[in-house]
Amino acid sequence: MRVQDIDHAALLPLYLAAAAAVLALLAGRFAKGAAMTGLAAAAGAAVWVGLGPDRATFAVGEWHSYVADDAAMGTAALFAGLAVLVAAVSGRQAGEYWFLLAASAAGGIALAGARDLVTLVVAVETLTLPLYVLVARPGRAGAEAGTTFLIASVTASATALMGAALLYAASGTVHLAGLGAGLADAHAGLTAAGVALLLAGLAFKLAAAPLHSWAPLVLERAPLPVATYLASASKLGGAAAVTWVVYFGLAGEASAGITAAVLSVASILIGNLGALVQRRTVPLLAWSGIAHAGYALAPLAVLATAAGREQAGPAASATLAYAVFFVLLEAGAFAALTAVRPETADLFAADPAPEPGPGPAPATGIGAAPAPGTEAATRAATDTATDRETGAQVASAERRTPKADLQSGGPRGSVLKADAGNAGLQRRDDDPGGRIAELSGLWKAAPLPAAVLLTAVIGLAGLPPALAGTFAKVAVLEVLASSAVWLAVVVAAGAVVGLAYYLPLARVLLTGRAAAAPRRYAVALVLAGLALAAVSLAPQLVLDFTSVSR
Amino acid sequence: MGVMLILAAALPAAGALAVWRLRRRPYAHWIGAGAAALAFAAVAMLPVGRGSGAWLVADGELTGAWWHQVSIEWAPSLHLEFSLAVDGVSWTLALLTALLGVLCCVHNAVGAEQRAADLLGADRAASAPLQVPAGSFETGGPSPAARRVRGVPADGASGSASGSLQEPPGSFETGGPFPAAAPVHGVPSGAGGGEPEGDRWQSPILTALLLAVQAASTLVFLTDNLVLFFIAFEAVLLPMWAIIHRYGDPAARRRAAAKFALFTVAGSLLMATGLFIAIADTGTADLGAILLHGGVGDDRSLLVFALLALGFAVKAPLWPFHSWLPDAHTAAPTVGSVLLAGVLLKLGTYGLIRVAGGLAPDGAADAAPVLAALAALGILVAGLVCLRLPEIKRLIAYSSVGHMGFVVLAFAAGTEAGVRAALFGNLAHGLVTPLLFFLAGALKARTHTGSLGALGGLRLAAPALAGLLGFAALASLGLPGLAGFWGEAFTVYAAAERGGAWLGLAAAAAFGAFLAAAYLLRMLRRVSHGPVAPAVYGIGDVSAAEAAVWAPLVAGTLLLGLVPGPLLALFSEGLL
Repeated sequence: MRVQDIDHAALLPLYLAAAAAVLALLAGRFAKGAAMTGLAAAAGAAVWVGLGPDRATFAVGEWHSYVADDAAMGTAALFAGLAVLVAAVSGRQAGEYWFLLAASAAGGIALAGARDLVTLVVAVETLTLPLYVLVARPGRAGAEAGTTFLIASVTASATALMGAALLYAASGTVHLAGLGAGLADAHAGLTAAGVALLLAGLAFKLAAAPLHSWAPLVLERAPLPVATYLASASKLGGAAAVTWVVYFGLAGEASAGITAAVLSVASILIGNLGALVQRRTVPLLAWSGIAHAGYALAPLAVLATAAGREQAGPAASATLAYAVFFVLLEAGAFAALTAVRPETADLFAADPAPEPGPGPAPATGIGAAPAPGTEAATRAATDTATDRETGAQVASAERRTPKADLQSGGPRGSVLKADAGNAGLQRRDDDPGGRIAELSGLWKAAPLPAAVLLTAVIGLAGLPPALAGTFAKVAVLEVLASSAVWLAVVVAAGAVVGLAYYLPLARVLLTGRAAAAPRRYAVALVLAGLALAAVSLAPQLVLDFTSVSR
Repeated sequence: MGVMLILAAALPAAGALAVWRLRRRPYAHWIGAGAAALAFAAVAMLPVGRGSGAWLVADGELTGAWWHQVSIEWAPSLHLEFSLAVDGVSWTLALLTALLGVLCCVHNAVGAEQRAADLLGADRAASAPLQVPAGSFETGGPSPAARRVRGVPADGASGSASGSLQEPPGSFETGGPFPAAAPVHGVPSGAGGGEPEGDRWQSPILTALLLAVQAASTLVFLTDNLVLFFIAFEAVLLPMWAIIHRYGDPAARRRAAAKFALFTVAGSLLMATGLFIAIADTGTADLGAILLHGGVGDDRSLLVFALLALGFAVKAPLWPFHSWLPDAHTAAPTVGSVLLAGVLLKLGTYGLIRVAGGLAPDGAADAAPVLAALAALGILVAGLVCLRLPEIKRLIAYSSVGHMGFVVLAFAAGTEAGVRAALFGNLAHGLVTPLLFFLAGALKARTHTGSLGALGGLRLAAPALAGLLGFAALASLGLPGLAGFWGEAFTVYAAAERGGAWLGLAAAAAFGAFLAAAYLLRMLRRVSHGPVAPAVYGIGDVSAAEAAVWAPLVAGTLLLGLVPGPLLALFSEGLL
C-alpha cells in the first residue's frame, strides 16, 4: 500500500498552534507565556510559509484538502496574531483558558488551509467548541450567554452540515475543487438547497442575519477578552469559510450569489437598525458588526448574474479583504475597551451580582432600555427635565459630573443626554464595556486606548483619516460597481446610517470631563494601533494576500 | 515642481498636526497661519515652468495639458495612486483654497490675541458687570446687549415696515439664553456661565481643524486619481463636522453638524459608486486618461453621470438637496462658514464640472435639461426665500444656493461659454461670499445679534464696515465691474444661446438675479440705513487687523471684475 507523502512544512503553523495548546494545558503557571509564545511562533511560521512557494497536501488526485497558499497563510497568520492580542489583553486567567484559546486558534489555522467540506466543517467546529466554555461566565447572565451561544452554534453547524451533505449528494465529492465540475449537471433544486443551507450555516460565524441574534447578547455577556476574540478571529473564520466555499467550490453557482445577496441585504438592514438604538458600547459594536458582515458578504452577490460570475475572483478577494480590515478594526476597538474597562476580566472568579431585572433588552434585540425596575431608569424614561436636575444633584458627588455628559451628549433630547446624570446610578457589575456615556472624556483620561478606539470607530464608519476602513469600503464598492450597482447603493445607504451611531460614539470619546480610567495592556494596544496604522498606510499588505484569484 | 504639488497638500496637513501638538502654546495660532502661508506660496508657485507635464493629444488635436504631474504608487489592487496634477482649472481653485486658509488662520490668531487682551483688561477692571460672558462673542449667549435689544420689536413694530413678520430678535438662532444652558453648565448663570465656550472659540484646535479641511480640499482639487479623489472628498467631512459641532452656535450646532455629516456622506458614497462604475468600465482610475478617452461607454454614461451628479449636487448644493446648507452655514463659526462657502461648495461644483462632466459627457448632455431646470428653480427659490429671511448669516447662506444654481445652470448649458461662465461664477462666489461671511461675523461679534430687525444705522455707527458690507453685497448681486457680474451674465447668455425652452430657464435665471438684487438691497437697507439701532450704537469700526484679512478678498473681487480675461484664458487651456 502506498502511503501518501505529507508536506509537514505546510502544516507547520498548525503544529505550532496545537503544540501551544498542549503546552498551555501542561505548563501550569507558565501557561500564558507558553500559549503566547507558541501562537506567535505559529504566526511567524505562517508568514514564512506564505512567503515561500505555495504548498498543498492531503491530495486526492489533483484535489487537495489542505493548502498553504498566500491567502491561506495570511489568514492563518492573522488568526494566530489575533489570538496573541486576545491573550495579551486577558490578564490573569486559569490554565484552561489558555488551552482553550490556543485550541480555538489552531482551529482557525486549520480553517485557513481547509479546501474540502469535511475539513472545513471540522475546522469551524474546532474554532467554535472552545468558545462554548470561554463565553460562559459564572452566574445567570454568563450561563445565559453560554447557552445561547451553544444553541445557536449547534443549530448553525447542523444547518451547514446538512448543506454540505446535500452538496455531496449532488456532486459526489466534498473537495471544493471538484464541486464546480460535479455540480454542473446536478439536480438544480438539490444544489440550491445545499448552497443556501451551507452558506447560511457558515455565515453564523460571521454573525450575518438571519443567524445573527446570538452576537449582541453573547458579546455583551461574555468576558471582554473573549468578546474581542469572538468579534475578530471568530468572524474572520466565518468570512474565510464562506470565501473558500464560494470561490473554490461554488463560483459557478447563481444560487451562491443569490444566497449571499439575501444574507447581505438582511444583515445590513437588521444590523444598522439594531445599532441605531443601542446605548451601550459592546452591543453597539455587536449590532454594527452584523451590518459589517453584510458589507463583507455583498461582493459575493455578483455571482447571481452571468456577467458577475466572471468576476468571482475579485469578488471573493474583496470579501476577504473587507473581512480582514474589519476584524483588525474590531480587534482594536474591543482591545481598547478591554483595557479601559473598570474591573478585570476574572473569568473563573467570583460570581457577580445577580441580574436586577428579567431579561434585559439587548437579549430581545431592539431597544436596549435599562432593565425595568430600577428607579432611575423609570425616571429617565418618564421625565427628562426633572431627571436632568435630579441627575445633576445625585451625580454631582460622583467623579463624573453630568455637565460633561450633557455638553457632549447627543442631539437634543437624545438618550445620552437624558441618561447622563444617571451614569453613576445604574452601573451593574456584570456590564462589560458599559454604557457609551461612561466613555466620556476618555481622550483625556487614557489617551492611548482612546486613540485606538477612536481610530477603530472612525475606521468602522469608513472615514479618513482611519484609512483602513475606507480601503475596505473601496474594495467592496469597486466590485459592486462593476456588476451589482443596486447592492452598492444598499451598502452606501447602510454606511450613511452607520455614521449616525459611530459619530456620536466618537464624539463621546473626545468630549466631556475625564474620569479615572485604568491604564493597562499598553504594549498590546500599541501593537494593535501600529497594525491599524500599517494597513492604513500600506493597504497593499492586506490586499496582496487576500487576492485569492492569483 | 512635483514637490510643490505635494507640498501644497502636505503643508496644511503638517501644520494641522503641529498646531494640535502645540495647542497649549500661545503661538500655536501663528504656526497654523505660517503653515497656511507656506502652502499658499507653494500653490502660487505652481504656474512656474508650466507645460512640463505631458501635453495630451486626442484625435491628433492638442486638447490641453497638466502643468505638472507627480505620481506615487499606493495600492494598485484598488487602482489607488497618490497622483497629483494641476492645470488652469484646478490651480485657481487650489489658490482660492490656500488664500482662504491663510485668511481664516490669521483671523483666528488675531481674534485669539484680542480676546486675551480683552480678558486681561476685564480682569484689571475686576468689575463683573462689564465682563461680557465670553460665549456671547460668537454665539450670542445671554448678554446685556441682547437683553437691551429685546425691547425693540415691542415698540418698533409700528415703525418697522415688516415688523409683524419679524421673529423676536434674540430668540432666533443666535440670541437669548440657550434654553438648556443653565442645566448644561450646572453653574449659576453669571460671568462664568459662558466661559468654556469662549475658551473653545479661541482654541488652536479650531485652527488645526481648518488646516485639515484645507489639506483635504486641496487634495481634492489637485488629485488626478479617482480613488484618491473619493478618499480626499471623504476626508473633508470629519474636520468640518468637528468645526460645526464643537465651535458652532450652541443652539443649533449639533443638529446642523449631524445633518451636514449625513447629507455629505450620502452624497459622497453615491458619488463613489459612480466613480467605481467608471473605473470598472474604463479599467483605469487616471482622471486625465479617462478625460482624453472621452469618458465611459455610451451604455453606462447616463448611470455614471446620474450617480456622480447626485453626489455632487448634495455638496454643491443643487436645489432639492440643499437643506443642510443654511443650517450648517448659520451654525458654523465665522471661519467655518467662510470655508464652507469658499471651499466646500466648490468641491461639489468642481466635481460636477470636471469629474461628472468629464467622465460621462454623453450622460451630462442627456441629463442637462433636468439639471438646468433644477438649477433655475433653485435660483428662484433661493431668491424668494432670501427676501423673507430675518437673519443676516442665514440670508448669506441661502444666497449661496442661488449662486450655485447659476453655476450649475451654466454647466448644464454645456456650451464652451457656459462651462467658462460656470468656472468663473464658481470662483467669484468663492471670493465674495466668504467676504460677506467675514463681515457678518464681525457684525455679529460687535452687536451680539444677527437679526435684521435689531440692526440699523450701521453707516453712521461704523462707516467703514457699512461700506465694505455694501461693496460685498453689490459684488454678490452681480454689479458690472465686480466679480459676480461675469459669471451670472454669461450664464444667462449661455442658456439663452441654446434657444427653445432654455430661453425660459435663462429668463428665470435673470429674474433670479433681479431677486438677488432685491434681497441684498433689503439687507443693506435694514443693516446700514435708518436710525442707529440700540444694538449697533457705539460699536467699533473696522480694525487694522480685520482690514488686512479682508483686503485680499476685496482686491480679488475688484480684479476679477475689472480684468476677467486672464482667468478665462486659464480656463480655456484647462483639461475638460
